[in-house]
Amino acid sequence: MGRMIGLRLIDAIPTILLVLTLVFVALRILPGDPAQVALGDMATPAQLELFREQMGLNLPLWQQYFIFLWDMLTLNLGRSLVSNVPVASIIAANLPYTIELTLVATGMGVIIGVPLGVLAATNRNKLPDSGVRVFSLIGYAIPDFYLGALMLIVFSLNLGWFPINGGGTDFLSRLHHVFLPALTLAMVKSAFLGRLTRTSLLEVLGKDYVRTARAKGARENRVIYRHGLRNALLPVTTGLGLSLLATLSGSVAIELVFNRPGLGETLIGAIAERDYPVIQAGAVIFAFFVVFINLLIDIAYIAIDPRIRVQS
Amino acid sequence: MTRPLLKISDVSVEFGPKANAIRVVDSVSFSIGAGEAVGLVGESGSGKSITSLSILRLIPDPPGRIVSGSIEFEGQDLLKLPANRMPEIRGRDIAMIFQEPMSSLNPVMTIGDQIAEALMLHQDLDRDARWQRVIEVLSLVGMPDPAARLGAFPHEFSGGMRQRVMIAMAVACNPKLLIADEPTTALDVTIQAQVLELMKSIRASVNTAILLISHDLGVIADLCERVVVMYSGRIVEEGSVESIFSKPEHPYTRGLLQSIPRLDDDRKRLYQIAGTVPMAGSVKKGCPFYARCDLRVDKCAAEMPPMFEFSKQHKAACWVTGEAEQ
Ligand SMILES: Nc1ncnc2c1ncn2[C@@H]1O[C@H](COP(=O)(O)OP(=O)(O)OP(=O)(O)O)[C@@H](O)[C@H]1O
Ligand SMILES: [Mg+2]
Repeated sequence: MGRMIGLRLIDAIPTILLVLTLVFVALRILPGDPAQVALGDMATPAQLELFREQMGLNLPLWQQYFIFLWDMLTLNLGRSLVSNVPVASIIAANLPYTIELTLVATGMGVIIGVPLGVLAATNRNKLPDSGVRVFSLIGYAIPDFYLGALMLIVFSLNLGWFPINGGGTDFLSRLHHVFLPALTLAMVKSAFLGRLTRTSLLEVLGKDYVRTARAKGARENRVIYRHGLRNALLPVTTGLGLSLLATLSGSVAIELVFNRPGLGETLIGAIAERDYPVIQAGAVIFAFFVVFINLLIDIAYIAIDPRIRVQS
Repeated sequence: MTRPLLKISDVSVEFGPKANAIRVVDSVSFSIGAGEAVGLVGESGSGKSITSLSILRLIPDPPGRIVSGSIEFEGQDLLKLPANRMPEIRGRDIAMIFQEPMSSLNPVMTIGDQIAEALMLHQDLDRDARWQRVIEVLSLVGMPDPAARLGAFPHEFSGGMRQRVMIAMAVACNPKLLIADEPTTALDVTIQAQVLELMKSIRASVNTAILLISHDLGVIADLCERVVVMYSGRIVEEGSVESIFSKPEHPYTRGLLQSIPRLDDDRKRLYQIAGTVPMAGSVKKGCPFYARCDLRVDKCAAEMPPMFEFSKQHKAACWVTGEAEQ
């Protein structure tokens, strides 16, 4: 098990290099002159030149590339062009909020979605199944920022149950702050996971080994949870990973709607101000998340399916 | 006569929407005595698996359902039992081994856990005693070094070994009736022989009644005292192994017997019953074997033959041989 995880980690290295390269290339072909944007319209050509010199923008591209790689790998993220604050501390201040939002939303999505899928699968073509289908359709159809705005208006502005903005300070207030935005993301996620669980469980419940479980006298609950769900969770795990990524990018919009601190909000601001080092670091961190989440999915697979464990 | 262990009477099973349902098992009746081994033969698609699944009420519903009849086990009609009482009987009183050893074990559970589960569901043993029993049944089915294999997963075993695990699971609670649905069909020939030997020795040591399903009469003769022959969802002949082998009365059974290869046989080709099995439920009137029968007369097409009695233990549904006997 430990060895397999080690192997997956090594497998991730080329992916990470590729991701860094893509970020580098993407930023070089972005329109606009960072020096001009950073220093404003009043800057003199000499000031612009000095700035380019300091930022290493005059070096040949391949040199810039290696410097960039080295900086990213050593977490030397530079300073914000706008505020001159180290990018690392900007990220450190905002990233926890995004992680918190993503994790809570994912947890809620699983807690709502998987049982809904089980409910639908075990009551196939009956009322609960139709109910879950309608819920899923709504979840798919409503854009998350719109749903977020609705929630904000109803539960925060009108009913006053939840705070209107910010990220909270101590544990309880952070939980209070994260609840509505996380629920918004979780609705979309549980719609997806619910459908996935339903399909997957229905397929598994038709398998021979489920019949074997019934034949040895297992009751329906045992058949569904012990024998069915564990096998049905494999495709759901993949779906969960994909939806985790969707949530991460969805959090960008949700952070704006709820006026929450976070990586999304930071990145949007940085893009508007063409704050190069911040955009760069944000993109790299998002990319690392993708690699990391894929790694988690692989590990979950190994834990769930013994057949994968032996193959290597 | 003493009450049989299992008495199936007039059981019919249909598949598909009620409006145009297909009847794949039609008024099947037979019984099994305590400790008796009965063979159920018939071509592929004749309804053997569906008949056996109906005993445990495991027919996938939808699309299938048992539409009539009774299945009395120790005098109790299983079809009248509330559905939530069936799990008490499955695995404890009646256990089943399936046709597909490769897919019938849960791929994400160790074989030890899967066998222990059967015990946990029906027997009040503590943990140690349970694992002891798992090891015991695994060695009973000839698993080498069973204690070391408890934590292995199904994919680590060959088909033959998986079928042994299935058998171990089925006999773990000493069932009164063991239904074995073509336990050897998916296995290669040498393994088939081993598994059959195993079934025999289990029968000797556990004294369970067996319903052995097969399309191979040789296999059945080896293990059973009585034979039930199915054709197109109906029972066409029933009797002791000796009487059916020495004097088959239904033309279909005769054909089946003639198509068994024999060593003392100098025929160039094996006998083959002409034509193909009609789709289950497609014959609405008359004898289902009519189209392929060498003995047929006009009456056969018009009217379904009843079971004629040839001797106390031997019955067959054929107008021609049946009426000649009377
Ligand atoms: N799930 C199902 N839906 C519709 N028809 C079915 C279903 N299962 C079985 N049948 C039909 O029931 C009939 C009997 O099937 P059954 O599996 O009992 O045959 P069998 O005698 O066991 O054959 P084999 O030797 O191939 O196992 C077949 O004609 C088949 O088409
Ligand atoms: Mg079958």
